Amino acid sequence: MASIHLQNIVKRYGGFVGVQNMSLDIADEEFLVLLGPSGCGKTTTMRMIAGLEEPTEGQIVIGGEVVNDIDARDRDVAMVFQGYALYPNMSIYENIRFPLRMRGIPASEHDARIRKAAEMVELGSFLDRKPGALSGGQRQRAALARAVVRQPQVFLMDEPLSNLDAKLRQSMRVQIKHMQRQLKVTTVYVTHDQIEAMTLADRIVIMNKGAIQQVGTPDEIYSDPANTFVAGFIGSPPMNLIQGTARDGRFTAPGISVPCPRFVHGQVTLGVRPEDCHVGGDNLQGQVYGVEPTGDVTYLTVLGGTNKIEVKAARDYRSDIDVAIGIAFDPAHLYFFDESGQRIRGAA
Amino acid sequence: MATARKSRGESRILRYLILGTWALVCLLPILWFLSIGFRPRTEVITPEPIYWPTFSLDAWRLLLSDWPIAKYLLNSVLAVGGSVVISLILGIPAAYALSRYEFRWREDIGFYILSTRMMAPAIVAVPIFFLFRSMGLLDTIWALMLIYAAVNLSLVIWIIRSYMLDIPKELEDAARTDGASDLRILWEIIIPACLPGIITAAVIAAIFAINEFLFTLLIASTANAYTMSVALANFTGGSDGIIYNAIALVSFIAFVPILILVILIQKHLSRGLTMGAVKG
Ligand SMILES: Nc1ncnc2c1ncn2[C@@H]1O[C@H](COP(=O)(O)OP(=O)(O)OP(=O)(O)O)[C@@H](O)[C@H]1O
Ligand SMILES: [Mg+2]
Repeated sequence: MASIHLQNIVKRYGGFVGVQNMSLDIADEEFLVLLGPSGCGKTTTMRMIAGLEEPTEGQIVIGGEVVNDIDARDRDVAMVFQGYALYPNMSIYENIRFPLRMRGIPASEHDARIRKAAEMVELGSFLDRKPGALSGGQRQRAALARAVVRQPQVFLMDEPLSNLDAKLRQSMRVQIKHMQRQLKVTTVYVTHDQIEAMTLADRIVIMNKGAIQQVGTPDEIYSDPANTFVAGFIGSPPMNLIQGTARDGRFTAPGISVPCPRFVHGQVTLGVRPEDCHVGGDNLQGQVYGVEPTGDVTYLTVLGGTNKIEVKAARDYRSDIDVAIGIAFDPAHLYFFDESGQRIRGAA
Repeated sequence: MATARKSRGESRILRYLILGTWALVCLLPILWFLSIGFRPRTEVITPEPIYWPTFSLDAWRLLLSDWPIAKYLLNSVLAVGGSVVISLILGIPAAYALSRYEFRWREDIGFYILSTRMMAPAIVAVPIFFLFRSMGLLDTIWALMLIYAAVNLSLVIWIIRSYMLDIPKELEDAARTDGASDLRILWEIIIPACLPGIITAAVIAAIFAINEFLFTLLIASTANAYTMSVALANFTGGSDGIIYNAIALVSFIAFVPILILVILIQKHLSRGLTMGAVKG
């Protein structure tokens, strides 16, 4: 129902830069996921969109209207807070009802809406309790219900599922996505969970130290990382990053030798995903450092020179440690980054 | 194991012994003046020890017939109650502003408010007397309400503020994004969340007000505005000499409401008095 534009947003706390020069266009009805390490400015960005924090510089536009000077209560944004922020003196029922009362929604609609929201987060039987009498995960779901009970212009969700067990998280994830598609509300979602990011997002924004590293669809982020930060952040286990030298169409590092495009030369970093490494071959010659069977796949760590390379091996792969081993890298999926960490792309 | 339990048992007995002795030391004066209050006047001042005191309601009779104790009690209740209401009405919004809004001199204003508590009341006694005289409020309960509220306001603000500081800011942020105005946030979120602090502040203010003496003496000159604390003092100076048994009784009557208050809020009180020392 509303697009969001951030134009050169800067947030400074005294001398500390929380968010630096952030520009981002979020389309109407888009599901955007913010991903990044702790302290990179995700919450700060959300709070600025919500109107709880004023940007030091830059403009925020929601639904075509500059909202910098519009108070949080008039922005029609619903937020799930990282710390839940449930009203301790009210029952869960009253908590979920609060935004309905404040937004002047007719009292006759309240009950049905509250029950529907509570049903969605599977809290139907806890409505009479005070937040203090709920577990962490139940509180988190109550906070989610309070946000989705009305239909705002924008949903902001700050790690709304971080405290749930894997099963519940999976089912909530599907429900959130379904609801977002149904209500068609522009959503900004923060998570540390890559699966969540990959499955929910129309586009993902990767942030680090207050700056956007890359914006793209989950596929783009995964298969076309813009720099070593994104490459090393996405994937589990993340991409192997190996420093070495490229000369005359060949990249070498201790124990490693692979062909590379001719425009790659000098001190560079090679990136290769564990799933693009295969046992048997001679791109990497090293010793088995460790073998970790997980059930559906076996993680193999190979020591080549001083580098430890992660390899996703077949489910039934087993080996003793310190055995000599050769690994092949899939030549179609090699990434090269320059000394500053930026991706080296073709046609240079 | 057995010895450990035994020594723990012993230390428990020791603990109760010490605490019991101390309780007796504290309670003895109260029991003493209670017993004085139920004995005839002559027996109270005799120098010889009396092992079997005579029971007498003389003091009661004196109190109820010659002395408008009901009026004094009523004055106390009205003045104290009114002052508590005034200081809460002024103190809660002030505490909210001092705990939440960012503005210049915020800390200085907070400190200034507290500093009003630091000077001896006697310093301002004379100006206050003239102030109330020119307002025509001398010898009225209204003046007492105002002065008690003024004296207690700083304390009330600081106690409530310390509780408000403990309320996470996200709570207000949530209410704001949910669409609540500042006044609504104060009324529906903040006040309920720091209710224990407000109760503590109210009770502490009430206790200070009940005991207030100097300003009451200054302002009250007749039964119009005499409160228990001043009436009690005047009681000693009658033409009949010092009536110990009646004084004891009055003291007891003045003391009981405070005792009840303290028992009621004991749990909150310790938190209120140690506020700022430990957060949470
Ligand atoms: N009020 C503040 N004053 C000073 N610095 C702040 C303030 N709020 C946030 N910061 C700083 O800004 C940076 C970004 O904080 P933010 O809360 O946005 O991180 P985040 O990405 O949400 O992290 P997390 O994943 O741990 O929640 C942090 O380094 C934080 O210390
Ligand atoms: Mg955060």
